[in-house]
Amino acid sequence: MSGSSKKIQRPLSPHLQVYKPQMTSVLSILHRMTGFAMAVGILVVVWMLVAAASGEQAYNVFLHYVGSKVGMVLLFGWSVAFFYHMSNGIRHLFWDMGYLFKLQNAFRAGYVVLLSTVVLTGLLWWTVCPFNVH
Amino acid sequence: MAEFKLPRHSRIEKGREIDAADKGAKRKKKFSIYRWDPDTADNPRMDTYEIDLDKCGPMVLDALIYIKNEIDSTVTFRRSCREGICGSCAMNIDGTNTLACTKPIEDVKKTQVRITPLPHMNVVKDLVPDQNHLIAQYNSIEPWLKTDSPAPTRERLQSAEDADHLNGEDGHGPAGCILCFCCSTSCPSYWWNSDRFMGPATLMQAYRWISDTRDEATGERLDQLEDPFRLYRCHTIMNCTNTCPKGLNPAKSIGEIKKLMVTRK
Repeated sequence: MSGSSKKIQRPLSPHLQVYKPQMTSVLSILHRMTGFAMAVGILVVVWMLVAAASGEQAYNVFLHYVGSKVGMVLLFGWSVAFFYHMSNGIRHLFWDMGYLFKLQNAFRAGYVVLLSTVVLTGLLWWTVCPFNVH
Repeated sequence: MAEFKLPRHSRIEKGREIDAADKGAKRKKKFSIYRWDPDTADNPRMDTYEIDLDKCGPMVLDALIYIKNEIDSTVTFRRSCREGICGSCAMNIDGTNTLACTKPIEDVKKTQVRITPLPHMNVVKDLVPDQNHLIAQYNSIEPWLKTDSPAPTRERLQSAEDADHLNGEDGHGPAGCILCFCCSTSCPSYWWNSDRFMGPATLMQAYRWISDTRDEATGERLDQLEDPFRLYRCHTIMNCTNTCPKGLNPAKSIGEIKKLMVTRK
């Protein structure tokens, strides 16, 4: 059996392949993904500032790209990421203070985070909606 | 960097289908079981056994024992107490970690019950994972009472309130842990960092001794955990608390340790 010189290569048991997505783990990975998305999005903010500092022409180029269909979709995505990351960040602050560890409360706070993401994103886009501008 | 895919030799292949239920059986159910034999060079596979539920007990462990006794004696798994106190039969059943002995078969609504070993572990055989590393981490927190003061003539006493830290006011405190490691192996952070991150089970036991009013090594214990990996790879995902078959709360214990780290500065 183990007398042979051949080393047994033990398999690694399946993990992501079998583990059911949990409310707990899905919200957690979303937090990291939205954080990463915003790290990329900050480059657009830098572009805006550089363009604004460079003069009207550069800023118009910035507006042209950001105002395009693709630009608007990306902006919408970044706004969702921002509000999710912010809301869930507050949930993390409560954990850091020792609250919301009861499973039921952790779940409830998770649903509040999702709701607040929808509401805050909706509010933001409602305020900048063209129909809303007089 | 986390490795999301299974290594080549760990990829699961399709296995055998064994229909062991009578034609006239009224309550049939399929059990798809992870199989790997160290004596062969084959990859792991999923073998499916269809059985008559009227011939076995109500829990998933009963089905496993029925399969081993009546159909295929090579199916390998750990079990002992069959009542949720020894922690031996921890495995992944229908996508979450739990004890096979306390998991009712009827809880799994699908036609097929998928059973795999505890996730992201080296497999010894079939449903038996290698727990040496988990146990070594548990030993590293020195899970025993440490004191400098001379031993009293009788037991070291504790008030009921102080004991609540260990047993929990609701009876679900850290002392209720049976070390089945369902929690540690449900934690994605532990999957990717188990070489240095202690994992929820061990950290909850660390807190069990930190919060013990009779223990006099609290500072030393906190010093040992003050590390970017050992403690702080916990990102409060809470899969641990979500999966604990004993209803305990490792995430809360870890949160308490983090609070102590801040307040002692």
